[in-house]
Amino acid sequence: MRFAAVGGIIPIVKPASEARFLQPHRRMTNRVIAGVAGGIADTLGVRDGYVRAAFVTLMTIWGIGGVIYLLFWIATFDRVEDRAMDPVESSRAAGLGLAFIGLLSLLGAVGLWPNGVLVLTAGALSFGTAAVTDPSSPGPLAALINPGVKRVSKIRLALGGVLLVAGIVMFSTAIGQIFEFAMVFLAVFLTGLGIFIAFGPWVRRLITDLSAERGERIRQEERAEVAAHLHDSVLQTLALIQRTDDPQRMAILARHQESELRDWLYGTAPLDGADLVSTALRQAAARVEEDFQIPVDVVTVGDYPVEDRTRALVGAASEAMVNAAKHSGVDRMSLFLEVEDDSLDVIVTDQGTGFEPDAVPADRKGISESIRSRVERVGGTVEIESELGEGTEVILRLGL
Amino acid sequence: MSIKVYLVDDHRLFLSGVKAELAEEFRIVGSAYDVDTAIEEIRGYRPDVVLIDVHMPDGGGIAVVEGVAETNPDVKFLALSVSDQAEDVIAMIRAGARGYVTKTIEPEDLSDAIRRIHAGDAVFSPRLAGFVLDAFAGAIPTDDDPELDQLTSREKDVLRLIARGFAYKQVARKLNISIKTVETHVSSALRKLQLSNRHELARWASKRRIV
Repeated sequence: MRFAAVGGIIPIVKPASEARFLQPHRRMTNRVIAGVAGGIADTLGVRDGYVRAAFVTLMTIWGIGGVIYLLFWIATFDRVEDRAMDPVESSRAAGLGLAFIGLLSLLGAVGLWPNGVLVLTAGALSFGTAAVTDPSSPGPLAALINPGVKRVSKIRLALGGVLLVAGIVMFSTAIGQIFEFAMVFLAVFLTGLGIFIAFGPWVRRLITDLSAERGERIRQEERAEVAAHLHDSVLQTLALIQRTDDPQRMAILARHQESELRDWLYGTAPLDGADLVSTALRQAAARVEEDFQIPVDVVTVGDYPVEDRTRALVGAASEAMVNAAKHSGVDRMSLFLEVEDDSLDVIVTDQGTGFEPDAVPADRKGISESIRSRVERVGGTVEIESELGEGTEVILRLGL
Repeated sequence: MSIKVYLVDDHRLFLSGVKAELAEEFRIVGSAYDVDTAIEEIRGYRPDVVLIDVHMPDGGGIAVVEGVAETNPDVKFLALSVSDQAEDVIAMIRAGARGYVTKTIEPEDLSDAIRRIHAGDAVFSPRLAGFVLDAFAGAIPTDDDPELDQLTSREKDVLRLIARGFAYKQVARKLNISIKTVETHVSSALRKLQLSNRHELARWASKRRIV
């Protein structure tokens, strides 16, 4: 099998052979009213639009469509699970069809044959609309042109076509006459039989082919995504590592790649779209590592969603890390997050040169003020502890 | 007499690198890259400290720690791993390892950690300290031993500083306590982790599948 190689990592799509006729049911999803038409469409393996069109058409015959809809509504169940249709159920369906035809003939017998032009018009319009607008699959014509779709046997197609034409002709002759219902009944019956014989298996095969094709496309897309990701990230980093002689730089590239790969493998949020404070902080730390070539040890305890207040803290922590990277002269720093019941602390620690908080040069004061104002605006507090030669700690705290 | 060290790692290149780094200061009595050889040789050589990788085929480091603990409970284990998955780390500690450090550790820090383990102390990397704080953060006291499952606030202070990258000496200075006291707090946090309710930890670990 062609895509067996990726079967191990990519979820297996339901094999096409499992698609089959289902027990009549009401569909719970993708429905217009109660899912009756959708359920019938699933059962017969035809497109939803056609079944809905049939109901619309039948509505013009004294609202029979509505009555049938209600009967189906009462008689069927909400779909719980897929189940193959067993012979008993097929014969029940056949019986239902016969009963419907009997009802029609009864109505014809008492002289209540409806306005044929109205029926034809409604039928043509609704079926036409359904054929043109159903977005889930290409029309029969497209499938006929598409060489990938298996051909229906010519005999069967011809037989169905003949029956179809005969039915339409007979139906036309019956219009305008209020009696001769047997003729009309025969016409309807032959038409239906013709359509079923000619197109039933073909429509079904078309649908199963489409789902198989869709499954393969999904697999190919996933594989392409994996390949693209590995190329953009891992391979690029490996290429960079081969070119560099500086062990420090090598280590940082490797660390950065490792954390990115972990994020990707374990399904944490994509870059820049972090929804947890810990992820956002890790991303900020990764950027600092990359920009300044200084490793940041990130340790997190507990977690909290990213919202306006916590976003401000992440931004301030990012500033503090940049600050430490630029001025402290260290070769590594640490970032610590702790979320407790009533508070969230983010602490950036470096063990570098430190500074005298009272004798801060103007430019550094500016940066620490920007950290401070950012956090205080959202109701948090900032503590900056530093001593010459002892490193610096920036403690950001937010009450929760 | 120098400390007898045994190395277990399925990554041979890494193994030879560590061997070279430690050979000056310690007596490397042997090494193995699979679980069965490791258990057999550790029983035979009786090293003081075993440096053990977490992820290996056939049960990994946990299998070795548990296999040796039955017969030689006095052999001390220091987990050394690239893994930063909380379950792996906590599982090693619960199996009986006295400490856990990542493979990015500086050689002199690793030597220091081995000496510390040999002296009977626990060795916490910043990340392990974070895991332990996290594990106890949501812990509800259990009926059988409510005291045992909680960290004291002093132990938490110590672990927080370790998590922030401070060495024991710096932690001691910041909290105005002696290094010996820091060691005591760390050891007792380790003991609590090893004895704490298995169910709570399992729930915690599964909750933090993504670290």
